[in-house]
Amino acid sequence: MTDLTAQELGAEALAPDDPAWNAAEAVRVPLVPVPVDAQPNAYIRAAWHDRSYGATPSASVAVATHGDRLFVRLEWDGSGPVAGEFPDACAVLFPAGDGPDTPVTMGDHASPVEVWQWRDRLPVQEAIPAVRHLVSTGPGMFRPGAADADLAAAATVDGTRWSVVLAGPRSALGAPARVAVAVWNGANEERAGIGAVSDEWAAVQA
Amino acid sequence: MTEQGAAGQLAMVFDLNKCMGCQTCSVACKVLWTREEGEEHHWWMSVNTQPGLGTPKGWEDMGGGWRDGTPVPGHQPTRAEFGGGWEFNHQEVLFGGRGRDTHLQPVDRGDGTTRWGMNWDEDQGGGTYPNSYYFYLPRLCNHCTHPVCVSACPSGAMYKRHEDGIVLRDEAVCQGARFCMEACPYKKISFNYVRGVSQHCIACFPRLEEGVAPACARQCPGRLVFVGDAADPAGPIHRLVHEWKVALPLHEEYGTGPNIFYVPPLSPYRLHDDFSIDEETPRIPPEYLESLFGPRVHAALDTLRDEMARVRAGGTSELLDTLIVYRWHDLFGPYTVDPASLDRSPERVAVQLGRARVGATEGE
Repeated sequence: MTDLTAQELGAEALAPDDPAWNAAEAVRVPLVPVPVDAQPNAYIRAAWHDRSYGATPSASVAVATHGDRLFVRLEWDGSGPVAGEFPDACAVLFPAGDGPDTPVTMGDHASPVEVWQWRDRLPVQEAIPAVRHLVSTGPGMFRPGAADADLAAAATVDGTRWSVVLAGPRSALGAPARVAVAVWNGANEERAGIGAVSDEWAAVQA
Repeated sequence: MTEQGAAGQLAMVFDLNKCMGCQTCSVACKVLWTREEGEEHHWWMSVNTQPGLGTPKGWEDMGGGWRDGTPVPGHQPTRAEFGGGWEFNHQEVLFGGRGRDTHLQPVDRGDGTTRWGMNWDEDQGGGTYPNSYYFYLPRLCNHCTHPVCVSACPSGAMYKRHEDGIVLRDEAVCQGARFCMEACPYKKISFNYVRGVSQHCIACFPRLEEGVAPACARQCPGRLVFVGDAADPAGPIHRLVHEWKVALPLHEEYGTGPNIFYVPPLSPYRLHDDFSIDEETPRIPPEYLESLFGPRVHAALDTLRDEMARVRAGGTSELLDTLIVYRWHDLFGPYTVDPASLDRSPERVAVQLGRARVGATEGE
């Protein structure tokens, strides 16, 4: 199992290029496509069974804390700022319960997953929050999470290389503390359960 | 295929022989439901000139629907394929001192949206002079019996309302994944880029709940839109669809069980090269109508012609009397309440707009 260490930063570090992140260890997390057979309905399975997706091989993940806030920085190669119908996006996943068998592929009905999802936005979408709190009961089976989750995000992009920090309550880390990440390549029309996700839960030493 | 049981099923019949393409239905819907930011290019109700590529451009070749119980992958229509929702250069022409140099026109943002729009190919039609032809085809969500859009939604935001079979979505749950747009073979779902959610015709359900017919039907000056429960044996829809069999679904082969039906258009005779009348050949090619309404279209047209002949010979026709609609309210089944008699205060309208977005029933 991949191990991540949550570094106490001593300050809020929402900006991806905040020097405080120098103190945090970035770990390469392998990503795999969410299996097409696991997709939640026949339409999505039929539409994607012969299409390539989830090809992003890995993401660099760093975890940090400050007080009761948790910060997760993801860096990966995507398709860059949104130019078509779908944006690049990423998410941090937390098991909603303490069961050991929560599927890393965005949970299931018995073992839902808390999701902090960031999406790139078109200029006309400034009213849409960049980050949203979701509860997932399967690949892409997202429902709105608690509205008062107090999430925040900041992103930078260099060509196609994204660096995104998602921040929220530290209490999202359960016991044992585990996280996974997911990324979606917008240029490939990836969204919902069509994307790449960690190959396993990563343990977080907080 | 997913069965979506419903206690009732709202249905509509459009008599294409009476549609004059005035777009009053389209505008009635537009001003009621899609006048906010992000909805500029939305036409939940649209009338296209046939033959044509329609709205969105080339929608009949975009896939979707069911085949043998399996969903058919489809194309998600893009903003450019819908087109429209243009911004015009009012400032430049009217106030910028260039009124003699340029003309009023859509501002080209380079995204293709100025090269198509609702009923863009209005002035084309088919055939060649003197046998050119066209007719109008009003289209809206079919509120299908087997809605593939509902089945394709991974978030469970879409549902088929039990009491009347109307297909709705809870925009608070919609994540904007747009599989519904791909799966819908009629391509009558639009994406609101500003709010990040998909949207489609709600069959004016807040009006129906107050006994008012949908805006597209009530505002139609041609009196061609019937509204009611498809299963009501005494209603005109049941009789037109199941007894007289002159009202047919559009592209039944898409497999979704559409609940919008059309009385196909009769057409004038063709003209010979010497401009004499060819009484044997309708000007609208029957095979074209069959491509839209299926093989039953020929029998439907025969029935219409036979009934017309009977009346010309001095007889009577209950079918033609029904289609003529001598009394306006006969179109609307139980939905004859005058909306002007109801509370239309801004507060009430705001409540109804909010309900339209979440599909909530009164009081929820």
